[in-house]
Formats: sequence, C-alpha cells, structure tokens
Amino acid sequence: MKEFLGTALLEPLATVGTRIVQFLPNLVAAFFILAVGWPLAWGLGRGVERTLRLLSVDRLADRIGLNAALTRGGLKPDPCHLAGRVVYWGLLVLTTIAALGALDLAPINQLAIHFLGYIPHLLTAVVILMGGIFLSNFVARATLITAVNGGFRPATTAAGLARWGVLLVALAMALEQLGIAQHIVVVGFGIAFGGVVLSLALAFGLGATGLSREFLERQFGRSADRKKDDLTHL
Amino acid sequence: MDQAFASVTLQEGTAAQVREIAQADILVGIPSFNNAATIGHVVKAVIAGLAKYFPDRRAVLVNSDGGSTDGTTDVVAQASVDLGPMLITDRQSLLHRIITPYQGIPGKGSAFRTVFELARRLDVKACAVVDADLRSITPEWIDLLIQPILNEGFDYVAPYYLRHKYDGTITNSIVYPLTRALYGLQIRQPIGGDFGFSGKLAVHYVDKHVWESDVARFGIDIWMTTEAVSTGARVCQSFLGAKIHNPKDPAADLSAMLVQVMGAVFTSMEEHQRVWPRLHGSNPVPLFGFQYEVGVEPVNVNVDRMIASFRQGLADLRQIWEMMLAPETLQALIDTERLPPHGFHIPDEVWAKTVYDCASAFHRRVLNREHLIKAMTPLYLGRTASFVVETQGLTSREAEECTERLGRVFERLKPYLLDRWGAVEEGPP
Repeated sequence: MKEFLGTALLEPLATVGTRIVQFLPNLVAAFFILAVGWPLAWGLGRGVERTLRLLSVDRLADRIGLNAALTRGGLKPDPCHLAGRVVYWGLLVLTTIAALGALDLAPINQLAIHFLGYIPHLLTAVVILMGGIFLSNFVARATLITAVNGGFRPATTAAGLARWGVLLVALAMALEQLGIAQHIVVVGFGIAFGGVVLSLALAFGLGATGLSREFLERQFGRSADRKKDDLTHL
Repeated sequence: MDQAFASVTLQEGTAAQVREIAQADILVGIPSFNNAATIGHVVKAVIAGLAKYFPDRRAVLVNSDGGSTDGTTDVVAQASVDLGPMLITDRQSLLHRIITPYQGIPGKGSAFRTVFELARRLDVKACAVVDADLRSITPEWIDLLIQPILNEGFDYVAPYYLRHKYDGTITNSIVYPLTRALYGLQIRQPIGGDFGFSGKLAVHYVDKHVWESDVARFGIDIWMTTEAVSTGARVCQSFLGAKIHNPKDPAADLSAMLVQVMGAVFTSMEEHQRVWPRLHGSNPVPLFGFQYEVGVEPVNVNVDRMIASFRQGLADLRQIWEMMLAPETLQALIDTERLPPHGFHIPDEVWAKTVYDCASAFHRRVLNREHLIKAMTPLYLGRTASFVVETQGLTSREAEECTERLGRVFERLKPYLLDRWGAVEEGPP
C-alpha cells in the first residue's frame, strides 16, 4: 500500500511539484517582464506624446492637412496623442510576447514567432493606408480646385471619385501586404477599377454628349457660341 | 559651355562674344519664346532708340530665347533699320547683338537671369528689358527706360502705360494696391514687363537664389520691383503711352498665372517682413515722359462667366475658403449670393481683407500653397466681375479713380494685415 501510494500518488505529485518549481522562474520572469514592460510602455507612450507636443507637431499636422485626414478617417485629430498610443500599444504587445516567450511553452513560442514575422507586413500595411489617406486628400483637393477653376459643374463628384480611386488603390495594396486573399484583391480591384473607368467613359460619351462636346471644343478652341472674352490679367 | 561664373552657365559662343565685347554702357534684353510675328518690330524699335538717344554709348542688344521653333532668333538676327528716314545720322558706336538660349526652368524669369548675367559680365551702367510681343513700342521707350538711370541717378524705372480699364486686372485689383500698401510707393505698373534698371541692381538680382521658384516664370516682374523697393533703390516711372501686345489666351492658364504671380508676391512679403510692417501710407513716385491721351483697344468681357465661377467657388470650395479666410470676410462674400448679376458687387473693404487673409494664410501655411493660390482664382474672378459691373460706362480714366480708391483702402486696412499676419521677426531690415 505504501509502495502504491508512493508510485501512484506521490510520484506524480512530486513530478508536478518539480515541474512547477522548474516553471516558477519562467512565470516569475514573465510577471517581471510584464511588471516592468507595462509601466515602461505607458511612460514611453506619454513621453513621446509630450515631446511631440513640445515640438508643436500638432500645428505642423494641422498645416500639412494631417488633422483633416485623421478626422476624415474617423480618428480623433490629435496626432501627438495618436503617436503616443501607437508607441504604448506597440510596446505593450512586444512586452506581452516577450512575457509569453519567457514561459517557454512550445505552442506559445510558435505563435509568437509567427506573430513577430507578421509585424513588418502589418506596419507596411498601416503605412500604406496612412499614405493613401493623405494622398487621397491631396488629390481630391487638387481635383476639386482644378475642376472649379475649369468651370466643371460636377466638381465635387470628380473630387470624390479621385479620393476613392486613390483610397481603393491604397486599400488593395495594404490587403495584399497583409496576405489577405491576395489574388482576389488584385483581380477584384482590377475589375472594379476597370469597370468604373469604362462606366465613366460610357456615361461621358453617351449620357453627356453635350458636355463632352463642349469639353472637347473648349480643349481645341472650336467653340462657336462661346462669348468672346479677351480680358488680360497681367 | 562656359563655367567661369558658377551661377549662370552661358553657351560657349555667347561667352566668346562677351569676351570680345568686353564692356558696354547699355544693355537691352528681350526675352522670347515663339514671338517671330512681333519681335522684329521690337528689335527695330530698340535699334532705333539706341541709335537716336544714345549714339555715343557702347550698347548691346540681348535676345534670351527659350528654344523658339518659329524662327524668332532668325528674325532678331536679320532685323535692321534704315536710320536715314528717321533723321538719325550720328550713330557712332556699333550695336552688338547677342542671341542666346537661356538655361533653367522655362520662363521669362530664367530668360531675364541670363540678361542679368550678361549685364554683370559686361559691367554695364544701365539695362532695359522689353517684352517680345509688344506692338506699341517706339524708340522713345528705350530713352525713357534708360535715361533716368544714366542721367538722373535712379536705380529702377517702372513703366507707366495707358491701358484699357479691363487690361491688367491682376495688376489693378491685387498687385498695385498690395504693393502700394506694403512698400509705401505708388508704382502703378509693378508687373508691367518693361523695365529699366542699373547695372548694380542687375548684379543684385543675379546673385539672389530664387531661380528655381516662381520668380523664374511670370513672378519675375513683381520680384524685380519688390527687390528694388525693399532694398532702398531709387525708383521712378516713365510714361510709355499705350501698351498694346499680342493677346495670350486669357482663361487658358489663369490659375497657373496666379500661382506664379501671387506666389512671388506672397513669398516676397515673407522675405521682406522686416521692411513692410514699419511703413505707413504711400508716396507718389516720380514720373518721367510727356503724358498724353491715347485710344486703347476695346476689351470684351464675359461677366456672367466670371460671376458663375465665383458662385461655383462659393458652393464647392467653401471648406477650403474657410481655412483661408476670416469668418467675417467669408460671410461678406457669401452675402453677395443674393445679388443679381447686374448688381453684383464685392466692396473694396471686403476685397482688401480677402487678399490680406490669403496672404496671411499663405504665410501660416494653412494648406498647400499652390492649392491656396489656385483656390483664389474664383475669388479674383468675382472681384473682377464686380469691378466690371461697377465701371461699366466709365472711361478708363474714370475707372482709374476706382483703382486708386482701392489702393487707399488697402493702405487703411494694413493694420488688419499685420494683425492677421502674426508675429514678425525682430531685427534689422
């Protein structure tokens, strides 16, 4: 009986105890990494936010249209706070991965390795999307002003189309970077974009014959009914 | 290619010509690009003017060409004048002729840069530049642009033309009143295009690092005037009579033209922001030449199209204008929406504040600068329409009083500009 107790009960318990004792340092290390990393992430996030505020990045962002782009993208127009939060969450994710790695558990290690390998793609996708948002705003504004100065009535529609065109390209590129249904995204974008262009061409050529004639006549200076205007500006 | 002067590169043939001529007293520059139809007359007027008024001076005629393909340079090379019928008999000094392509960004400013460089290398005392598309230039223009430099001690001669009331509307509604209010001098044609200046000023111009900006294009005229005024050069005007030149397609590239001219104006404001805030009021500028009345060519104006452009701007560019203009200025512009076309009116005060708001927005970089100035196009067309409606039935001389009144309003509202502009760096001017 004594032998049975020793083999069937105490030995596994001893093994578990040994494993726990062996695992304890890993757990402590994980807690330690979290305990240090979390406040550090918070502090660095706040530090980045404050430094950017001191450097008047808010004003710069306002000037270059970043705030307007953030608002349009559904984000709070506070780039310093946003940068701080990105740093905080980025460090927190890294801390968590490091803490899980310290536990030295095979499945978690595998997951962490995969996740770390994915981070560059994620960052690239974010950069592409942000760049796309800024570029779309710039292109939309340029299109709007040019269209208004050219006397093109549906100027806001043209600007909207330009904005969404650029955004769609950026979105397709970002999704491709993330490896989400790569072929479907590329083919889908090609079909959608080609369709839009063809629709516009047909709409312009068939649905707006008067407008297209006027446009072409204006381009080639053959408008007969255009009232003469020889104002010289300089 | 000649590399003696790092700033401007001259073709080897041109550099050799300069070495051969060595020194000159007077240089007359003509920038050109496909002006074969008109440049012959301009060259003849210059040749006759130099022969008649400066017979004993060493003179050089420079054609700075932008790669014309219509034979412009051939016309310049072959143009000659029979001086006998003009009663000019005492021409003593040979007129040198330099025909050279210019380097850099295609535009009038780059062409002028080569002219300035040649003036420096030839150590000239006085220079003049005249446009290649002029049809009303006479030999007297050369006298009037050069004489104040050589004999009266002036550094810069601005032109004073008789123009139709609707000719030069950017000048009348923006550049003249703004320059007058900023720099305190009533230079009526600050972007006239035909100027006289001393060799010393030419050297100052060529030494400036502005040749990659709008100054290299249409911005050159206002930049030359502003540089002259802000550096304390002695400035005068010469009455040249009517300015008749080959019309450019007026609407084709208006916003591009505005970008170049207003970009240069606003950039100069930043460059000289230690100078203009200290100046108050304005003074007349000496005017040389015999003044007379002359008939000017009629100008057709499509007011409805200008008002339509302004109103489309109000509808579609509202968000952009909100970034550029003060709320009360924008509201005053919005209030014009209910006015009928025949009663369309943008008051002088509202227009002056609009221009000042745009200058301040440019300075504070509230949005991309090119977008900002291009977004001014419907505003400018609205103001031009207002001016046309207001001055219909008036003679050009009567309409001139409206322009003078606008200049006084710009002066009166200068504190508003200072307020909107913000802090100015302290230091010596």
